[in-house]
Amino acid sequence: MSVSPRPDAGPKLEGAVTFGMDLESPDMLWAALVLSPVARGRLRSVDLAPARALDGVVAVGAADLPALLPGAGDADRPLFPTDTVSYRGQPVAAVAAPTRERAREAARAVRVEVEPSPVVSDLEDVFPEWPGPAADASPHVVAHVRAREGDVDAVVRRADTVVRETYRTSSIHQVALEPHACLAEVKQGIWHVRTSTQTPFGAREDIASLLGVPEGSVVVEGTWVGGGFGGKGSALLEPYALVLAKATGRPVRLALSYREEFQLGRTTLPSVIRMETAVTGGRIVARRVRLLLDVGNSLPGRDFATGYSIGFLLGPYRTPAFEVEGYAVRTNKPPFGPHRAPFAPQCAFALESHLDHVAREAGLDPDEFRAAHLWKEGDSTPLGQPVGPFGLATAFERARAVAARWRAEAAPDRGVGIGVGFWSTNSGAGGEVRVRLAPSGVTVVQGEREIGSGSVLAGVAAVAARCTGLPRDRVTVAYEDTARAPFDSGVFGSRTTAAIGRAVQEASCALFGELRKRLDAPGLVHLALEDDEVVVRSDQRQRPVRELLTEEERAAGGIETSGRHFGKGGAIDERKVEVGTFYPYTDFTGAAHVAEVAVDRGTGTVRVVRYAAFHDVGTVIDPTTALAQVEGGVVMGLGTALTEEALWSDDGRLLNAGLLDYRIPTLGSVPPIDVTFVEGFEGAGPFGAKGLGEPPIIPVPAAVALAVRQATGAHVTELPLSSERVARALKLL
Amino acid sequence: MAQPWRVTVNGERRALDDVPDSERLLDTIRWRLGLKGTKEGCRSGECGACTVLVDEVSTLSCLTLAHEVDGASLTTVEGVAHDPVGRSVQDAFARAGALQCGYCTPGFVIALVGLLKERGRAAPTEELLADLSGNLCRCTGYLAIVRAVASLPREDP
Repeated sequence: MSVSPRPDAGPKLEGAVTFGMDLESPDMLWAALVLSPVARGRLRSVDLAPARALDGVVAVGAADLPALLPGAGDADRPLFPTDTVSYRGQPVAAVAAPTRERAREAARAVRVEVEPSPVVSDLEDVFPEWPGPAADASPHVVAHVRAREGDVDAVVRRADTVVRETYRTSSIHQVALEPHACLAEVKQGIWHVRTSTQTPFGAREDIASLLGVPEGSVVVEGTWVGGGFGGKGSALLEPYALVLAKATGRPVRLALSYREEFQLGRTTLPSVIRMETAVTGGRIVARRVRLLLDVGNSLPGRDFATGYSIGFLLGPYRTPAFEVEGYAVRTNKPPFGPHRAPFAPQCAFALESHLDHVAREAGLDPDEFRAAHLWKEGDSTPLGQPVGPFGLATAFERARAVAARWRAEAAPDRGVGIGVGFWSTNSGAGGEVRVRLAPSGVTVVQGEREIGSGSVLAGVAAVAARCTGLPRDRVTVAYEDTARAPFDSGVFGSRTTAAIGRAVQEASCALFGELRKRLDAPGLVHLALEDDEVVVRSDQRQRPVRELLTEEERAAGGIETSGRHFGKGGAIDERKVEVGTFYPYTDFTGAAHVAEVAVDRGTGTVRVVRYAAFHDVGTVIDPTTALAQVEGGVVMGLGTALTEEALWSDDGRLLNAGLLDYRIPTLGSVPPIDVTFVEGFEGAGPFGAKGLGEPPIIPVPAAVALAVRQATGAHVTELPLSSERVARALKLL
Repeated sequence: MAQPWRVTVNGERRALDDVPDSERLLDTIRWRLGLKGTKEGCRSGECGACTVLVDEVSTLSCLTLAHEVDGASLTTVEGVAHDPVGRSVQDAFARAGALQCGYCTPGFVIALVGLLKERGRAAPTEELLADLSGNLCRCTGYLAIVRAVASLPREDP
């Protein structure tokens, strides 16, 4: 496939872009956080004196906050705890010093005394059995959701086949190669921070709330982002850096070490998933799904995962009767964090493995069984959302054809599996852009930084080129900070190209309306290049943009229009909801993946030999970055499937906080991946686009697990499928 | 203790008066020379983002003390375009779209340039890839990087 260079390729290949980690200011101080040495206990004292005794060190703890921050911050989320600590690595103080080494030394010098309490490390220690009615009063229950339709018990009693299983998933980390980093400065009442973030406006809101200052006094300037994958949303380090900047009157740089990144970055935590499915006459007649999700030190009201992710345990399959119930369980681990397609790959792994198993138990063809129940346009989700244009069934048929061919060719130690997954193009809370037309080309002015996927610099640029009719090299996507750019929700939820693209479309329509007026010609106008200059043309008339600008526009660099996009929400059928909040999905996307694996019968080691991915993304906007998203997402999913597992000790320590012990895929472990886009199922994004950042990771663990099952008969019900787990399933251990 | 430090960086002589004995080459390059193209990732030799060439040999600057390379000739990503091998690697990465966030990119580019200098441009793709596998990338899934390596011109210009 021939590809054209991304607009950021040149500067990145020359090392000429500034990431959060590269931020520097002439008189800046270096900062470090003081972290709780234990996972749970009563905080007796945080003695900053030994740190303050070091030359040039300023230390800030809970006692210093009222003087520095007279406005009351979010009482539920104090920057530093005053009475108890709830996870190992919880910041209890922060220090700033003239050098990195001095800052680290000062952080180590702070004496933290904690009276330890028994640590709740494992959610199955909290709820060894499924929680009963008393659970809602438990301090460990952060969220509880339940919905149902029909009388599942009655249907189950009459069913031909009923299968009940339990699945378990492990803790995984984003492992963006750039750790969290920022540079803060407080000047003339403005809390200014430059930071590596996926959500400049989300960070601004969070910072204002945590510091107890007006949002208008906070300015967030995004840097280039060295990988996000969900870990760089809202605020993490920024409030601490800002408090130190306030205390010292100097710019303060705060960055995590990679060990801290593992510890404090936003880990997706373990789960227990229970599945029950009843089949009669070869059809699913009832399903019951239950999720216990470890959310670490997440606070009530701040758990999004349970009410959103639990839907991935039900769909993309039709079921006439169902019960779904989930608990977000608080433990002494850091707060749960979103990881590319939060929790959907784990759900798809459990669901696909389970339905495959159900079909086998019922004597049915597993692939045919799943195909017969997949949602199509016109169906409703179990929670009552209508399914719009949706290419998953088509993708599944294409995947089955590939699987049939590979199975016919496969050697005896090989197996081929198909996994599917669905996702939603999350529009967030909407946003806005400005489009500026100048004699040299068009600029999209907006407030998101490129995080690597290409969704801003390639995706939004491609939409703008298509809207204006100008070549790509005449389109610039410009970034501005939160004080200057119009609001946008952030780079997350596979939304960026689709959502910002809609705003670009709207702004372009307004632009062409204005040009039509100024050209004063009937009919349509369009833009073209003539003698290296943008001209406005109609059937009868043509004028250079240069001649259509007012005096002010010439000074400001062009004609500017703006466009908005809105969070387009689907709706849950609330009659089915009994407890808690379920979040709706918007604009369904889906993928079917085929994995061929070779399994070592002596060690249980799984090697993925080849891979094929079929994706419904609506209309492909930028083929180069679309292909790149699928390749990168699949390989990330191979890590979730096979090797990635953050291990927690009973006393709440992360045991493998490093890249040698937490194994992400390496260059030598990657199979060839054949990527196909199944087009013709238009989404709500520009030109029919749907989101693509997250879907590629979702079906991967399922496809790999089912391939392992086909190769060996081993039915592994835990992620990841490490050599040890596969060996146990093969009775080698 | 701090001592004077003299090196050639990207073809230019640089001298510093007071580089501490315990300072990592990574920090000297980034914070004293201001060459931020060399990336700090894990800071413990596991990711490869900080790779630089020391007398044309690929070196993890996070595990090297600055004074270990006194008098040597260093190449960082900012100097890669000075020679034809470096330019060909950058072109191949750009054409193949072998980068996304770009944080691992300087390390990959430098490591590959080092391999080509060590083994010659005719070295088989498989060998180059095997030796590159210590560099981690979280965005691309490596396949575009594999295509970039496979597309490199195999003869001296």
